[in-house]
Amino acid sequence: MQYGRRMTEPLDRWFIQEIVPHEAALMRYLRRAWSHADEIHDLRQEVYVRVYEAAKKARPHSAKSFLFATARNLLADRMRRQRVVSIESVGDWDALNVPLDEISPERSLGGRQDLKRLTDAFDILPERCREVLWLRRVEDLPQRDVAARLGIGEKTVEKQLAKGVRIIADLLFGDGETKRDTRAQREHEHGKQHRD
Amino acid sequence: MESSTEIERSAAAWLARRGATGWSERDEAELAAWLVSTAHRVAWLRLQAAWEQSDRLRALAAGVSPGRVPARGSWNHSRFFRRTGDEVASEGASAGERRNGSRRAIDESRGHLRRWVAAAAALLLVSGALWFQVLRVHATAEMSYATAVGELRTVQLADGSRATLSSDSELGVTLTRSERHIALRRGEAFFDVAKDADRPFVVQSGKRCVVAVGTHFAVRADGEALRIIVVEGRVRLTTTPPETSAPALLSAGMVTVADVGGVSTRSYPLDRAEEMLSWRTGLLSFRATPLAEAAAEFNRYTAHKLVIDDPAVGAIPISGNFRWSNTDAFVRLVEQGFALHADRRGDDIVLRAARPQR
Repeated sequence: MQYGRRMTEPLDRWFIQEIVPHEAALMRYLRRAWSHADEIHDLRQEVYVRVYEAAKKARPHSAKSFLFATARNLLADRMRRQRVVSIESVGDWDALNVPLDEISPERSLGGRQDLKRLTDAFDILPERCREVLWLRRVEDLPQRDVAARLGIGEKTVEKQLAKGVRIIADLLFGDGETKRDTRAQREHEHGKQHRD
Repeated sequence: MESSTEIERSAAAWLARRGATGWSERDEAELAAWLVSTAHRVAWLRLQAAWEQSDRLRALAAGVSPGRVPARGSWNHSRFFRRTGDEVASEGASAGERRNGSRRAIDESRGHLRRWVAAAAALLLVSGALWFQVLRVHATAEMSYATAVGELRTVQLADGSRATLSSDSELGVTLTRSERHIALRRGEAFFDVAKDADRPFVVQSGKRCVVAVGTHFAVRADGEALRIIVVEGRVRLTTTPPETSAPALLSAGMVTVADVGGVSTRSYPLDRAEEMLSWRTGLLSFRATPLAEAAAEFNRYTAHKLVIDDPAVGAIPISGNFRWSNTDAFVRLVEQGFALHADRRGDDIVLRAARPQR
């Protein structure tokens, strides 16, 4: 497949290597400073967008400081905007100024502990999802063959892979709370738009 | 406006669709267009990173037969972490457990097991001496173990040692009163040797012997040449009749090649030496390895041999981890990455430089 060229842009690599490993710390920070748990996913996404956009113009010296400065600014913006609501009930101004050292160090991608977290993540996947991901990623079978092997449709394989990769990303990069968030979110959306 | 969760869901769908049958240039263009939005792109990159990471599970696919998904919790991390006595002991059990898929039950009962082991050990102290004599006298018949091409097999020997046979390999095992003798007839095997200072563990291939007392090492026979990789403890390399030089003492991290020309040893960081034995977990690991050498590695595991006639092609350096059970994926990769073309020639796959098009 020829998607290789586009996916190896230096900025993309920088984002994956320098920003994503801080996700667990970022999530802890957001949770501490923002009281609406259902908005954390959105805030994370917004922080990532701002960081990526800024880095297009100039790559920051310290990715970590820049990431948290961006998060702080975003939360401050949101608090100001939501002034009608009592500030205390939304966010915590003091928590915005948590020293970076208090937030645990970044995770190394590809490290050995990472492998443990990966298997843990893999093990909590629903059974079908787990089978599909194994055959696809470890056995390296084409999706059509995965479908044939399991006696399911290729569309189902796709759906399971999509589901699996989201769960794995949350557990691999997130702070462990994400599992609960995403489950809540998913249930919420499941009711809202059951379109499968 | 799209919510962050909707975006994430779309990104995941793209990622999964990309690997589906019928993915076309047009799909690719659509994806590219979708990725122009930074909001889409960051969500995609994050999932893409998780997707890439998930193939590291391959490193743990040890001993899992193709087409089988391992039971939950049946992971053997000990190879990747510092070994403790417990881990080594439990690893012995895990090879069998994985087959039964009952690792969790065994985990739970391990505490029990330990108590029983302590009690049993006391009993063994009494009866052990007697048993030992019996074993020494009787266990002298040779046991033979062999694997077919593409097969791996771990065997438990009567002395408590374990041998993992690589593809297309054969061992003859004779345990006697004074020696644990292993004849490596063909291929390669990794040995996890139970400590027994009174009975050296001798792996013999041709006129050379690798002698251990209790350690972890692998020996490969390649025609006249012998390759020894030690990952724990030390082994001694001897030759009959003895060569002029003193027997070589090989320690962890050393990779030694002994052929008609003599013996050469190179020391590597331990994890690199372990990597060369990653075939045990279903992988082949290359670091700037010439394609010809990489192909020869693959050929140990498959009936469809890779053939390279052009030395320029054979010299292309290859890096990365590959699953030896999937030669096709490797071929596809080198075809795309190095402008090579693969042709079938009977059962073989011939790799050559792609003729310039246009």
